[in-house]
Parts: sequence; structure tokens; C-alpha cells
Amino acid sequence: MSLKDLISPFYVWQRAFQKPYTQKRPIEERPGAPRYRGFHINLTEECVGCGSCEAICQNHAIDMVKVEGLEPRNGDSGLRPKFDYGRCCWCALCVDICTARSLRLSNHYAWVTEDPDAFHFIAGTDAMPWNQNSLGYRRDDDYHLLTHDRIEMDALSPEESLKGFDEVMKGYTEEQALLEADRCVECGICVATCPAHMSVPDYIKAVRNKDWEGGLKLLYETNPFSTTCGRICTHRCETDCVLGLQGTPIAIRWLKRAIADRVPAERYAEILNDTFTENGKKVAIVGAGPGGMSAAYYLRKQGYGVTVFEAQAHGGGMLRYGVPSYRLPENQLDKDIDYIRSLGVDVRFNTRVGQDVPFSELMDNHDAIFIATGLSSPMKLRIDGEEHPRVVSGLKILDDVAKGQDPGVGKRVAVIGGGNVAMDAARVSRRVGADVTVLYRRRIEDMPADPEEIHESKAEGCHLVPQAIPVKIKDADDPNQVVIVWGEAEMVSDAKGGRPRPVLQEDRMHEETYDTIVSAIGQGGDYDFMGECLGSIEQKWGKFIPGAYQQTGVSKIFVGGDIANSTADAISAVEDGHHAARGIHRFLSEEGLQ
Amino acid sequence: MATPTALLDELGKRYTLSEIHIQRDDLLFLKVTKPQAVRFLKDLRDDAGYTHLTFMTNIDYIEDGRFTLTYMLHNYDTHHEIGVHVDLDRDNAEMDSIHNLWAQGRTYQCELREMYGIRFPGSPGLDDDFCLEGWDQIPPMRKEFDIVAFSEERFGNRPGRGSTDPREHMGTVMYPEHRDGTEH
Repeated sequence: MSLKDLISPFYVWQRAFQKPYTQKRPIEERPGAPRYRGFHINLTEECVGCGSCEAICQNHAIDMVKVEGLEPRNGDSGLRPKFDYGRCCWCALCVDICTARSLRLSNHYAWVTEDPDAFHFIAGTDAMPWNQNSLGYRRDDDYHLLTHDRIEMDALSPEESLKGFDEVMKGYTEEQALLEADRCVECGICVATCPAHMSVPDYIKAVRNKDWEGGLKLLYETNPFSTTCGRICTHRCETDCVLGLQGTPIAIRWLKRAIADRVPAERYAEILNDTFTENGKKVAIVGAGPGGMSAAYYLRKQGYGVTVFEAQAHGGGMLRYGVPSYRLPENQLDKDIDYIRSLGVDVRFNTRVGQDVPFSELMDNHDAIFIATGLSSPMKLRIDGEEHPRVVSGLKILDDVAKGQDPGVGKRVAVIGGGNVAMDAARVSRRVGADVTVLYRRRIEDMPADPEEIHESKAEGCHLVPQAIPVKIKDADDPNQVVIVWGEAEMVSDAKGGRPRPVLQEDRMHEETYDTIVSAIGQGGDYDFMGECLGSIEQKWGKFIPGAYQQTGVSKIFVGGDIANSTADAISAVEDGHHAARGIHRFLSEEGLQ
Repeated sequence: MATPTALLDELGKRYTLSEIHIQRDDLLFLKVTKPQAVRFLKDLRDDAGYTHLTFMTNIDYIEDGRFTLTYMLHNYDTHHEIGVHVDLDRDNAEMDSIHNLWAQGRTYQCELREMYGIRFPGSPGLDDDFCLEGWDQIPPMRKEFDIVAFSEERFGNRPGRGSTDPREHMGTVMYPEHRDGTEH
């Protein structure tokens, strides 16, 4: 052994007094780079629980879970993503796909704990040291996994559409439908919002697969008015579509139409294959609108003998007499109605209950009755002079046009109201050559009409005057004309927290002469035909208040549609009809409903 | 100092180039045919000053049935970069080796063999483990490799895992009476 061998250990010892080259951990923690991909943060308030993060995760590291105190509501499932860091590889696809852009990564990457279960947590909800961390990976503004812009649908130009009553919206081509369907993330958040709870993600998937037949079957599970609703639905679903959080919502309504338009009426029976055996029980339905006919469809499928009593010469109710053909051509409405009739539903047209057939006969000869007569009595303006012969209701004009008659509105028309009937009356008047002014008492954004109706009526040259309150109607010098006195309104916020109220400004009054004044401020129901039954059925503000399954205080009477819901649109009527059919089946079968 | 355009003019005389994309003045991508590729890379190295192989990687275009190999080269004099794409048949992916041009090529090729199953005949140590010891599945970067299925089978789930479907959850809580068992 040499001397060197003996001494060398002491050389090492001298290093014990030198500063180490290595960094001390964890005393000197090094922060992650500003865009480092560390632990997740989720802005719980902005997250809508769509589950796209879970769907895209290649490692199955994410579960959507219930969070205490967070209930589902329209547009938000109430679920939030829970991360298993045993599987996460920090690829950040979940951040890139996030529809609400609520998910991000912090730049916090070092976390030491002895409990492995601690690495399984709900980001943003469970308290974590990095929740307030402002740095870390975010999706770049110009990087998109989702297609945020809707595929536009071809339409007639305003000039062309004004020439007649041809359908304005042309429908998607197959290529357009496929591209639009491709934008959907299939989260299904919209299903709760749809009054009929249609299987939206499933039928959009059918579009993507060009499976028009399968798509039609899906539509009919919840809506036998799909050709119609594919055109004029109020599409509440689109309000809550998660693609709308950063871009435009999926054109769910147009995709429904894309399916229905691609299946010819002759093939419906073969594809839908609605087979049933007669159960011997009879149901009467009053009104062949979307509510009545939907009830008829679902009851017939259960084997009930169904008779529908309809006062008008054709079915469809407000869809036919209240929606002009440039939005819904009659043959498309007939496609839906004719299929329901083809199942053996007996529709008695030109038969007004209470006039052509007594209500008592319905009560005596049927096991249950569903009433969906709609709101067909125009509401009064309640101002002086409204009985003037040049004042007509919006419904009357639409009804005339639907029946092929000239509404005779003249050259200068004022429409009073801001709903769909007002917009349609205005647009119809434009088509017969009138200059049209629409007077509405609140602001444009308060109008109950569909935004596209407002947009299209403006494009077609209707002059919209918001915050205009009609005060009086009086004779004009020319007996074929009429004068309206209206005043400007200021919006005053409501002390009780309700919506702002228009207040008449008496120093800013206007007086104008028109050939016709169209009153379209809403409709009421007429229930006199029901006679003494009426006393046992709860009503409020002129509408029925049904109980569970649309049943009324008279146990065999069920009600639905505009007379029994607050939304008063076709899709709600369809669901009321479907739901009443469920109720009637329970009522008349052993499942029980008293 | 050759501009991208001048370089392309010169090389275009001798090689079949396509999908030329001048991304920046100092960054250019192009595609060359498989038989010409290695000779092309050698010319870039020896004549055009692209002496450094920055990296080498592969893109899986499963829908088109092809792989696209990408060689990224750097010129230290001009600090220009050029990305050379080469298409391979995905089902029978084989490419001439570049380990004689750049020594580190063998490492990249070993990795690409392991991750995508691409063969580089003659590349030393090609079949050595790169980072997957004892791998018994199809190469994991091929898009048909099902990561989730593999993870489920190999590792299982941590206790306490379980997910709720948003649509189902909303239906159960918000409109239970309106469901007919037609949920999908």
C-alpha cells in the first residue's frame, strides 16, 4: 500500500467544508417556465361540465364527477373533471379542447406527498396550492381543435324572397350538413334544454355517418314534427350548445332538417316501422296542431284508437295558419301530418268541438281526452278606436294568406307587436307590396320574436320602431285609411328587479296615417266549449296549469300546447303531446295515474 | 449565402421536389422522393452547408396509409434550417439509413424503429431497446395503438375512479318523468 492510498481519504474530507455544486432541494424551489405544463386548474364557475376533456384524454385520466352543491341546470351538467395523475401525461389536449376555456395548466410541477390518493382530485374545486397560480399552459388564441364558425346555409336574397312565398332557407347540401355535424363534440348538454329532450348528439352523429334512415328513427323517438321543427323550431338547444361559448352554436335545427329532407315521405313507413296492436281503448284529441298530433302519434303507437277533432280544414294549427310558407312550406308540414294520419289516426276536419260536436260526446265516448286547441283569439290593444275597420289582427292576415286570399292591407301598414306573429304579419305585408312599420313598446332586444325573424324582417325592408307605445286609433280623412297616435317610451328600470318597463313620454307623441293597422300583441285561448268541466281545471293568466303528465283536475282530461305552457312554441307543444300520451297510457293501463 | 429560392433552383435541377413551403426566410420545408432522399441529404450536407442534423422524426398519416419521415437540418453559417419530408408506405415502412452521414442518425433510427416500426437496414443497434424495455405490443406511436385499452389492461384503474355521463346525469335529475328509456 502506497502512502498516497493512505492519505487520499483525507483529501475527500477537505471538501466537506466547501460549498456544494448541487442545488439544495426543496429549499431552493425553481419555478416552472411561464408556459410550463404543470398541475391542472379549472375555473369552476366558467366550466359547464361538457366532458370534452374526458372524451379527448388519450390516457383515460379524467372522470366527470358530481360536485357537492353543484346541481345540473340548462347549459351546465353540474359535473366537473377529476384528474388521476397516475395516468396524466401532461399533453394538454384537455386544455386545447376545453369548450368553455376554463381548463388550464398551472406551471406548478413539484408536489410531494406520501398519500398517492392525493394525486386524484377535482381541479379547481378541491383546494390545491396552485389554484391561484396565474402562469402555466393556456391554449393559444389562434390554435383551435374545434371549428368555431357555423357552416352557413344558402338562402334567397331579400330581393328574391320578397317576390313571393318561396322558402327562404334552402337547406344544407350533404357536404354542408356533414361539415356542420362534424363540429359537434357530442356532450349532450343541449338535450336537457330541448323541451322534447331530443337525442341531439345521436342524430348529429347519424348525419356525420350519412345514416339518414337511422337519423329519422332517432328523430321520431321524441318528435314526429321533425320536418317542421327542422325549419321553424325556436331551437333553445342552440342557446346552450357548448360550441356557442367561444363561437357559434351547432346549427342543431338545420341538421334535423337535413335528415328529414333526405328521406322521402314514401319511405317513412318502411323505415319507422311503427307496428302496434289495437288495445281497444279510445282517446279523443281536440286540435290537430303539433301538440294534438304528437299525442295522437305516441298514443297510436301504443294501440289506442285516436280521433282528432279539428275546427279548420287542414291540420297543423298555428304552424299552418300562423307560420307563412316562406318559413314552412305547406307540403313540408303535410309530410309530418300525413305520416301520423297514415297510422290510422282519424282526423275530423271542419269539426269544431262545442259547435259541430258537443264536448259531452267526447267525454262520454272516450276513455281519455287531450286538449291542445292553441291560442287563436287575438288579444285586444285596449286603446280607444281599436274597433276601427282598418285595424285587423296579425293572425287574420296570416290566415288569409295561408288560405290563398289577398289580405288587402293596402300600401302603408303599421304592425303593433314584437313577437313572431307580428314579424310574420309584417313580412307577409311586405310580400304583398306594402311599406311596413313595426311599432314595439320595448327595445329590439326585448322582442319575443326569434332573432332570425327580426333579422330577416329588417333585411326585407320592414321598418322597426322600438319603444313606441300606441295610445289611440282614430278615423283618417280617407275612410279607407286609419290614424294611429303613438308616443315614444323611455325604459325605466324596475325597482323590484324585474325587466325594465317602458314609460310613455307625453311630450314626444306622433300621429301617422296608414291603410291598415295590424294588431299582433299576443293571443288568448277560448275554452268555452268545455262547459262545466272548466270549473275543475286550474287556470292562471288565461292558461291551464296541468299537473303531472299534463293531467287536469278532471282526471280523464289532459291539456297541452300553447294553452298550457309558457313557451308557446311548436317543440314545447310536441313534448306536451308526447308527455300527455305517456300520462294517458299510465292513466288507462295498470301502471297507474289516478 | 444561398437564399431559399436560389437553393431550390439549384437542387430542383437534380431532384424531384414537391410540397415546397417557404415558412420563413430562414426556414424551408420540402418533400423529396424516397429513392433520392439520402443522396439529397448528403448534397445538402456537403455542398449547401447544412452540416447539422437537428433531429429526425416521423408523422403518421393513418388515413392516407403513409408515414412522412422528417429530417431537420441546420446550416451553421447562415443559420438557415431546412425540413426534408419523405413519404413511406405505412404498411411496409423501410428507409435507407443515414448513420453514415450523421453518427447520431443511428439513435434516431433506433427510436423510430421502436416507436413506429420503421426499418432502417444496416443501421447499427437498430433493434436494441430505445426506451421501452420488454415492449410486447405494436409500436406505440402508430395511431392504431389503443393507449387507453393498453393502460386499462396493463395497469387497471385506481380505486375510486368512476365517471358520470353529463347527458344521463342531467336527464336523471332534471326531467326523470320525460324519459322513455330511449336514451342512447
